[in-house]
Amino acid sequence: MHFIFSDEVVLLFDFWSVHSPAGVALSVLVVLLLAVLYEGIKVGKARLLHQALTSLSISTSQQLIEETDQNSSSSDSPQVSRTRLRWFLCHFSQSLLHVAQVVIGYFMMLAVMSYNTWIFFGVVLGSGVGYYLAYPLLSMT
Amino acid sequence: MGHFHHVGMSMGMSSGDDNSTMAPSHHHPTSSASHSHGHMMTMMPMTFYFGFKNVELLFSGLVINTAGEMAGAFVAVFLLAMFYEGLKIAREGLLRKSQVSIRYNSMPVPGPNGTILMETHKTVGQQMLSFPHLLQTVLHIIQVVISYFLMLIFMTYNGYLCIAVAAGAGMGYFLFSWKKAVVVDITEHCH
Repeated sequence: MHFIFSDEVVLLFDFWSVHSPAGVALSVLVVLLLAVLYEGIKVGKARLLHQALTSLSISTSQQLIEETDQNSSSSDSPQVSRTRLRWFLCHFSQSLLHVAQVVIGYFMMLAVMSYNTWIFFGVVLGSGVGYYLAYPLLSMT
Repeated sequence: MGHFHHVGMSMGMSSGDDNSTMAPSHHHPTSSASHSHGHMMTMMPMTFYFGFKNVELLFSGLVINTAGEMAGAFVAVFLLAMFYEGLKIAREGLLRKSQVSIRYNSMPVPGPNGTILMETHKTVGQQMLSFPHLLQTVLHIIQVVISYFLMLIFMTYNGYLCIAVAAGAGMGYFLFSWKKAVVVDITEHCH
């Protein structure tokens, strides 16, 4: 098994079989966008986590201030449950993003496994472009 | 003709060879060459399919033939993917804990004589023969092996098993990272 330049490729699904240079070019474009999306999801997950931590840290510190002022008892105030719900929703959406990341990562691995050199270039280029576009967004707050 | 089949079988995927037109969507090879030559017993599928007949899973003895076995394999793969996510997060936590302890150890600051900044070189990483580093190494090896197993399972192109990998990863991330994030939240406010 070795890398080949070929005009025919079957990628991932039965219906995705191309036999022409135009088809292969389109497949390379799709795979490229998939790789860009993968890098974007990685950055998106980190940003979601950062946003959740900062917003929820503000709300929990406010709760602490309120509780010390009011000298309240141990029962949960509505504020706490709202914070927990927000945290749950945030974490659930992060988990969905994680599933998407795992699936797209495996799809890219399987695309490279087709041993078609054009597809491989598409994956590598897409990863590079995705990293270039997405990672500056990581340090933005 | 036997040679032609042999060439076709050994390529196994879409190739630049004009003569062989393999249909990679076929999971069960219908050509008789597989029995006569015995070089490749089963073809590797190259597209996703849903099925539970004659599914080889990682090892030569592990073949799935019934729906019940597929259900068992689904659960096992699901748990393996969950364990992988948990292992990743446990390693992160262990690393942070061992590094934090080292950082605190090097904090002792200057004595009454005005001597400044004694052991700044100790903050960098772990010592090579320390127990935390050896534990991290062992866990790293286990993590690499499991990640390759999950990749190979996904490579069977079996729809049920792939869904099990993805769902297990999602569930594992949800369960273990929840705890980690809460812990991180608390510790990062104590600074």
